[in-house]
Amino acid sequence: MAIMNLLFANREVPGIENIAVYEAHGGYQGLRKAVSLDRQAVIDEVKSSGLRGRGGAGFPTWIKWNGLPKNYDKPHYVICNADEGEPGTYKDRELLLKLAHTLVEGMAIAGYATCSTQGYVYIRGEYVEPAWQLRKAIDQAYKAGYLGKNILGIEGFNFDLNIHMGAGSYECGEESALMSSLMGERGNPRLKFPHAPLPTVEGVWKSPTLINNVETYCAATWILANGAEKYSALGTERSKGTKIISVSGHIRRPSNYEVEMGTPLLELIDAAGGVVGGSLKAVIPGGSSVQIVPAEKLAGINLDYESCFANGTLLGSGGFMAFNDRTDIVLLMKRTSEFYAHESCGKCTPCREGTRWLYRILDRITSGGGQEGDIELLLSVCANIDGRSYCGLGDAAAWPIVGAIKAFREEFEYWIKYKKSPVGSHAVPPSPDPVNPLLRLSAVNR
Amino acid sequence: MSENKLTQTDATLNPPTTDLVNIKINGVAVKVPKGENIIESARRVGVDIPYFCYHPRLSKGDAANCRMCLIEVASTAPDGSVRKMPKPQAACTMPASEGLVVETETPAIIKDRKGILEFLLINHPLDCPVCDRGGECPLQNNTLFYGPPTSRFIEEKRHYPKSYPLSEHVVFDRERCIQCARCTRFTEDISGDSQLGFLKRGADIEVGSFASTAYQSKFSGNVIELCPVGALLSRNYRFKARPWDLLTQKSICTQCSNGCNIKYDYRVDKIQRVNARLNEDVNEEWTCDRGKFGHDYISADSRLREPLVKRGGKWHPISWTEAYALVAEKFKAAGSNVAGIGGANATNEDNFAFQKFFRETLKSSNIDHRLGAYQGPGAGPIFSRLGYHTTGTTIAELESAKTIFLLGTELADEQPILFLRVRKAARFKGAAIVNALDRAVADTTSASDFADVDLLYRPGTEVALLNGVLNVLFSKELVAAQDGLDFSGLQSAVAEWTPEKAAAETGVSAESIVRAAELLARGSVAVIAGKTVTEHAYYTDIAAVLANLVIAVGSPAGLNIPVTDFNAQGAADMGVLPDYGPGYTPVASAGLNTRGILQAAASGSLGALWIVGAELLEQYADTKLAESALENCQFIVMNALSLTPTASMADLILPVASAAEKDGTVTSCERRIQRIYRAFDISGNVKPDWLVFTEVAELLGGGAPYVSARDIWRDIAQTIPTHSSITLKSLGESGIRWQYAHPAPKPTVAAAPYKAPAAAGTSRA
Ligand SMILES: Cc1cc2nc3c(=O)[nH]c(=O)nc-3n(C[C@H](O)[C@H](O)[C@H](O)COP(=O)(O)O)c2cc1C
Ligand code: SF4
Ligand code: SF4
Ligand code: SF4
Ligand code: FES
Repeated sequence: MAIMNLLFANREVPGIENIAVYEAHGGYQGLRKAVSLDRQAVIDEVKSSGLRGRGGAGFPTWIKWNGLPKNYDKPHYVICNADEGEPGTYKDRELLLKLAHTLVEGMAIAGYATCSTQGYVYIRGEYVEPAWQLRKAIDQAYKAGYLGKNILGIEGFNFDLNIHMGAGSYECGEESALMSSLMGERGNPRLKFPHAPLPTVEGVWKSPTLINNVETYCAATWILANGAEKYSALGTERSKGTKIISVSGHIRRPSNYEVEMGTPLLELIDAAGGVVGGSLKAVIPGGSSVQIVPAEKLAGINLDYESCFANGTLLGSGGFMAFNDRTDIVLLMKRTSEFYAHESCGKCTPCREGTRWLYRILDRITSGGGQEGDIELLLSVCANIDGRSYCGLGDAAAWPIVGAIKAFREEFEYWIKYKKSPVGSHAVPPSPDPVNPLLRLSAVNR
Repeated sequence: MSENKLTQTDATLNPPTTDLVNIKINGVAVKVPKGENIIESARRVGVDIPYFCYHPRLSKGDAANCRMCLIEVASTAPDGSVRKMPKPQAACTMPASEGLVVETETPAIIKDRKGILEFLLINHPLDCPVCDRGGECPLQNNTLFYGPPTSRFIEEKRHYPKSYPLSEHVVFDRERCIQCARCTRFTEDISGDSQLGFLKRGADIEVGSFASTAYQSKFSGNVIELCPVGALLSRNYRFKARPWDLLTQKSICTQCSNGCNIKYDYRVDKIQRVNARLNEDVNEEWTCDRGKFGHDYISADSRLREPLVKRGGKWHPISWTEAYALVAEKFKAAGSNVAGIGGANATNEDNFAFQKFFRETLKSSNIDHRLGAYQGPGAGPIFSRLGYHTTGTTIAELESAKTIFLLGTELADEQPILFLRVRKAARFKGAAIVNALDRAVADTTSASDFADVDLLYRPGTEVALLNGVLNVLFSKELVAAQDGLDFSGLQSAVAEWTPEKAAAETGVSAESIVRAAELLARGSVAVIAGKTVTEHAYYTDIAAVLANLVIAVGSPAGLNIPVTDFNAQGAADMGVLPDYGPGYTPVASAGLNTRGILQAAASGSLGALWIVGAELLEQYADTKLAESALENCQFIVMNALSLTPTASMADLILPVASAAEKDGTVTSCERRIQRIYRAFDISGNVKPDWLVFTEVAELLGGGAPYVSARDIWRDIAQTIPTHSSITLKSLGESGIRWQYAHPAPKPTVAAAPYKAPAAAGTSRA
């Protein structure tokens, strides 16, 4: 069975966003468990659970938790990445809306384990309602003594939780740009190891900083409450536990689905009610940044980090998008490239210039101006961005286009040759609104 | 701290270290300082890595954005196995570590460079033929050596206005900008005014100022040189020349006493632009705007090109022979009733010849170069206490100060290059800044932006403030005992100056006074006092207390009360002082100082006055006296560049050479002797000051004439012991700071009286 509700176990419980209901359903038991252990034991628990970061990269969570220095000569910070900007991903939204206490609890556990006194939840600016729910949860947690000073009566366990709203930038979900933004700087990414110390050593305000995704902290709560063993019993050898997948696209019941790691991809499509409006053409399993997979290649793919990678795509943040056979892949890529060009922070050359160029080429092709050699040009521009940019956004802009050309080259060729869509005039997705004029030529003003 | 010191941006690209690590670059093994960036390491083995955004003096935080410097990197594990990093890395921020293996010329890197340059050029206007940068453009150069031969970009390029006025001096061509963030980092890291930043994002990103207000900075010109393309342009120089059409001569900036090394880029006899010249000891590679844009006077049409005599209220050109005859006649007639004022803007050689002419030929010591109230380099009150006249710290040494105490100065105006070092010390070296200001003059200065504590005191209460600080130092036992120094007298003298009393008197809060004292107690203190102090009626008292302060905190060489005029230091050194000859040897009978001379002239008793470039009407504080002196003096000859208000009051004007038209040496406020070089002549008829003096001296029966500035330098070195070992050749590229011959005197402690301002008022006229 595909569906496996751990974090979502109480998702449908009425009033679960209130602390009393949450507590009645086992809420804050994870935190109680954590404080009964010493710090290192909590980190070891996370380690043996096999939890990996749910923000996209799948980095082993315990290594970060363990990476903060243990001489505690500077304040430590715990940050939650709730910027959730990856197109197709909306799991953090639901976690915040319904299970904000799970996040509060998870961050308090992390605060305890890393000896941090301040936590920040960086929420994307559009998530107003989720932010209110979190605000409510935080206020309740303070009242109940799960946040603040001497938490659970433990002398010296102080942990404050603050909310910081983003201002509409996908790039601010990149962890170092998030930290810049949090400190009031321009939302540009920062130097990474080995060019600068790791965030766990020098993050915000030059202090050791832990940064994880919403789902990661929520999973930590479950792990502490239910034991690492139970968690690591689920999933595959290297992808443990469950993953929340945000299903969207041409699908009957788009929603968040929590699945056990290693669940066959096609099972999820079935669980979500199957494809609508035609037959399945392709799937983007992990958010718009990952490579698209044509329907015929989906059979062997399981929803875990290794299987996706082995099949030329990524599990990413779990932004699962299904497309039916009326989807025009070139238009899809044009829209995708528009997104990245719009979201590029502009700091580095390859992404600043390359993402706009990609969009301009795709825009030209889909406006009937395609030329011979355009496909090679697209691939070459992608290659010149991928791995050359300052942060991951450049890579994320290049991968989907390379993936789409690999899987659907003939559609690009069709557009270039016949100046029209290979799927006919009802091609979806059409650009719903006029293309952002900013993305076209900037106003000529001499 | 008023500044956010919390980000990656205050990390330097080359952390100082003595640890060496072994790395390999293109197969060549080399030992380099640990943490050094690989662009620098590669240079050591002769490998060039192309770059745009990298700049060794700028901070790390916003670096590594152009991606031009990508290299392949592998690390060596302890077992000797080599692991390659999957992605190419930016060399400019890649720190050298033990066992690093670097490749810079692999096919992949060669391709990456082409890719980056193609990206940079797709939206670049490529209007090289009309671009100021053409011919000296890193973008052109990197494209030539590393770029693709053609572009595959067929879309329309981005278009922007071509000449956005960014500041008074700087015009911005946004189409050419490659977003390297050098200019924005400059305003943050170097000038400290944080005026430029990035607006918008993605391909729309643009350099700009907050709310598009004018870019206001005292150092804006530097970004023109710093910009790796022709995006930031000098309003003056734009479209004036091609770089290869310009001739270049080395010089020293004449606009203040800091001694910035500059280059005149000129055509025939017109200076087209001024660029900074590297001198790590002085200006590093910066200038201030006064320096960069303030040399137009040299090639101005208003320059005088022949001697002028006033007859019947009108100016008539005459020959040098006639002019000399007139001077000789007048000065002979006046006997020893003569005087000379000026020299602060002339070379050491000019000044030496000037004083020699007066002392030896005319037998008069009525000479003075000082126009302001500041009498520093002469009978300076700190010399007897500390063993130096004006500056104990070199400009470069400011960097290693732990605490810098600014007193009564807008340093960015008065001593711009000292200001940049103070900024550097604060930003990159962790120095604390105490910024004390007369609140009637200003309630904030450029240093306020990054000072740790601002002390805004009531006018005239400097001594009270300093006594308050000393009181805290003693009462908190922050003064370490020093061999042979007895602080007890001073301690009891300041005992009454509790922070509370000092606070009541000065209007500065007691906490701030305590905080300042604590910062000063960190040791390695440099004090810089400015105009509010030097032009103060109680200057001598303040200087005495400052001497107490630096002695008490154990930095007796830390006091600096620098001169401000171009070569005021050199003029004093050369003996253009009524009471001291060359090298500060006291003269048997002192002559009149500037004030005395002007009073004599005003009374009509002075026979002849020689003004050496001194703009008395503009610069002398007591304008009435200056006017009356100029009106009533029996005969005035003036060496001048143009017909200034002061010059037009003279009887005879001798057109003299500017700094670009003569060789010589000048001495900066830190006593650094540096050379200037003749670039061109604006006319065969202007002469350097020294030549005028030596030729007139000859007419009046003086000794053997000088034939060149070099000739005079030999005489200077023979006359002044502290200069004796210095030859023009030994000055080299960075100059030499002359050293006092005597051993530094034992500092002495002496309490100074405090006169409340209400009693005597302040004079800052
Ligand atoms: C362009 C870009 C955007 C990102 N956006 C998000 C995001 O919205 N939410 C998130 O959790 N991680 C995002 N990430 C990943 C984060 O950088 C980081 O890996 C993650 O927050 C780490 O948390 P985890 O270890 O719990 O996954 C983004 C990365 C990139 C390169
Ligand atoms: S890849 Fe470069 S331009 Fe793109 S978001 Fe990252 S730093 Fe900014
Ligand atoms: S900046 Fe350089 S490449 Fe650009 S137009 Fe000027 S000279 Fe040419
Ligand atoms: S204006 Fe010049 S220095 Fe500033 S970012 Fe653009 S290219 Fe760089
Ligand atoms: S020089 Fe290294 S990225 Fe610009």
